[in-house]
Amino acid sequence: MIFGGFARLRERGVLGMNYRNAGYIMAYNARSSYPLVDDKVQTKKLAEKFGIPIPRLYTVVENHGSIARLPEVLADLGEFVVKPARGAGGSGIVLIRGRRNGGFVTQSGRELSLEAFNYHIASILSGIFSLEGAEDAAIIEALIHPDQVFRSVTFQEGVPDVRIIAYRGVPVMAMVRLPTEASDGKANLHRGAIGAGIDMGSGVTLDAVHNSRIVRTHPDTGNPVRGIQLPHWDKMLMMASVATDMTGLGYLGADFVLDRDIGPVLLELNARPGLAIQLANQSGLRLRLDRTDGAPPDMFLSAASRVAWAKEHFTGGSSAAVSASRNP
Amino acid sequence: MKRPGFLPAAVLFLVTCLLILYRIWWLGYPVLPVAKGQTWQLMASLFVTPHQEQGLLSLALPSDYIGNMVVEERVLSGKYAFYIRTEGPNRFGVWSGEDIDRPEELTYRAMIHSLPRRSAAVQSPLLGPYPSALSADEKTLTEAVTRKWQALPQTPRFQAVAGALKGDWGDSPPEGEAQRRWRMVQQKLDRADAALALFRASNLPARLVEGLQLMEGVQSLPIKWIDVWAGGSWNHLNPETGEVYPPDVSLLPLAVGGLPAIEISGLELSDLRWSLRRQVVSQWKLFYEHITNSSHFLDRWSLLQLPPEFQGTFRILLLVPIGALIISALRNVVGLPTFGIFMPLLIALAFRSTGTLYGVAIFCGVLLVGYGARFFLDKLHLLLVPRLSVILTLVVACFTLLALMGNKLGMRELMAVGLVPFVILTMTIERFFILIEESGVGAAARTALGSVAVSVIAYGLISWEPLQFTFFIYPELLLTVAALQILLGRYTGYRLSELYRFQSLRKSS
Repeated sequence: MIFGGFARLRERGVLGMNYRNAGYIMAYNARSSYPLVDDKVQTKKLAEKFGIPIPRLYTVVENHGSIARLPEVLADLGEFVVKPARGAGGSGIVLIRGRRNGGFVTQSGRELSLEAFNYHIASILSGIFSLEGAEDAAIIEALIHPDQVFRSVTFQEGVPDVRIIAYRGVPVMAMVRLPTEASDGKANLHRGAIGAGIDMGSGVTLDAVHNSRIVRTHPDTGNPVRGIQLPHWDKMLMMASVATDMTGLGYLGADFVLDRDIGPVLLELNARPGLAIQLANQSGLRLRLDRTDGAPPDMFLSAASRVAWAKEHFTGGSSAAVSASRNP
Repeated sequence: MKRPGFLPAAVLFLVTCLLILYRIWWLGYPVLPVAKGQTWQLMASLFVTPHQEQGLLSLALPSDYIGNMVVEERVLSGKYAFYIRTEGPNRFGVWSGEDIDRPEELTYRAMIHSLPRRSAAVQSPLLGPYPSALSADEKTLTEAVTRKWQALPQTPRFQAVAGALKGDWGDSPPEGEAQRRWRMVQQKLDRADAALALFRASNLPARLVEGLQLMEGVQSLPIKWIDVWAGGSWNHLNPETGEVYPPDVSLLPLAVGGLPAIEISGLELSDLRWSLRRQVVSQWKLFYEHITNSSHFLDRWSLLQLPPEFQGTFRILLLVPIGALIISALRNVVGLPTFGIFMPLLIALAFRSTGTLYGVAIFCGVLLVGYGARFFLDKLHLLLVPRLSVILTLVVACFTLLALMGNKLGMRELMAVGLVPFVILTMTIERFFILIEESGVGAAARTALGSVAVSVIAYGLISWEPLQFTFFIYPELLLTVAALQILLGRYTGYRLSELYRFQSLRKSS
């Protein structure tokens, strides 16, 4: 029964954690490139150099001494985001949308006193949210105003984000993470957000996964998830593809948010992207990665050709088309 | 995909095999951890009451010869001084005391391993002298009586003498007059001396032995028998009856060569008893002495050469890598979530002193108390390092309280709480809290449960004695553990937990 289950997973081309680590992350992601994505300050600098839009960086708090001067720096800002430079899984991120009583108001309407705000920054600096628990810096950057395209399938003021996995520069799979009440407005799947697969060819959403179950509608709004056309789809695919050139990571996850004014902006890159994207798409990553490996070598030469190839081969909604063409 | 880990793993495995084969083949190490032959627990106990200022007791102790191996000796000497005197093949335990005014119990314990059918002497032993009770005339007579047997080979000669002791002179009796005179000598002599004289005259090496019959029970006096060298080994003969002991009777010699098994002066001896009990022991204990006396390189570099107080540590330490291997397997093949990689292993080590039940209870209890405190501390907005310090203090305080409670209730398991790795527990509390905050109670509870399960499994493994012995004798097995770890590191298949995680992908088509 166990081996039957394993065989079935293999047949469906599901990528397991062990194979992801040994076969892709260790094989394609040089350890020396990790700091580029683990430290968001470095990612931002790099992205700017490659012309990839990012949320505007206001300031970086690097030591406890500069916390005291922070109110001065932030004086002109009505809204902004605080996040740890080396944070993982979206933890430690606070969205500030206004001020009240000398303190701040978060995105969810909660009041945050100046003292609590300073404590949060100090916590970030102490490394509570950082990947290895080492000392960290706090980034203060522009607040995103999400595009209204996912309005019907997002809980309140949550910000949906788009994850694209790029393998050797080819965008192979994508999903959009939609915040729910359970996820506290965060676009975090293991906190209860839902993830909707995306057809790579058209940029139209598919069904979604919610706590490992397939759902057709958003649990809070009740609206169907399927069939939403993502704006700027080609642009996002191009950005994910370029992210590989810019970091040298052969297997990465690129996270975007859609700003209503700027369009897609790169939030962060991930050298160890999770496997839940397969559930969202109801499709195995292994099949697409193997197909990419079998593509003609000149396809890899430019970002444009990689995106075009991916759009042509990873479309059709269901994975049936993919697996059928895999075994000609 | 290529398998780059395969070659180093194979090399490591091969080296292990070669070293183990060398030890088994050339150095005679045990293959199985359970011993062949029989092992006996011997205890000699007696009461001595002094009636003079100076008291001395000499008691024959078993020695390492004729297929017996003596291990783990323990002596209880009360107020008496104790030392071991060796004399030829014999060992005597000597207790001596001065001005001792009341009776005291003295005991000697040893573990004796008797290997079946093993002869210590390969070449024939030398002929001893005639018994001193024999006069020159009687010596001549004994020689005359046995003259006809001199031409016989050893074994029939031995059988002829044994027969004569029973009064059966066979088909070549000596002349009537000599026979009559010999019978008078025999009556005058102790029967054992008479037998020894006959064997001496027949040129068969023989000796008087005092010892015990190896059988379950209590014996209050040693028995006497005569060892006769014939046919390349010692034959045991009862001097009273002239009967030869059948080969399935095992004898434990204590004093060889006519020396008395017990000698006392200035003391009164009472309630002397030798008790023998069969035991099942593992091989490694038996090989302890063998290895410590060996001059082979691998034996001299054996862990058994360490002072005993350090050996215990290594028996556990050598299994820790296996624990790590198990953790790797449970994480990468099964997919059990745990707090960190080594935390379950360290908790498992602590279980050795607290026991599994109390260990798990202490772990869960302190984790929950710590969580409560951490929840409260979160509102105080403390910085990371001071906050962790507070939790550490709390953990230590919990330990202190548990130890005090254990003392009150007489529960050693609770008093051993200090051996639980408190730093690891502190970090676990912090991670537990963050996990609850970030991923919810469910995920945190699963991880805590996974950690406990892995700890219990690892503990079960490292406290399994046969495995400890095996690794202690063959530390090169570590190389094989490393090989397995390498192979596991190359496992790229699915995890068991992924069957559940990706079940929707499994079912849909």
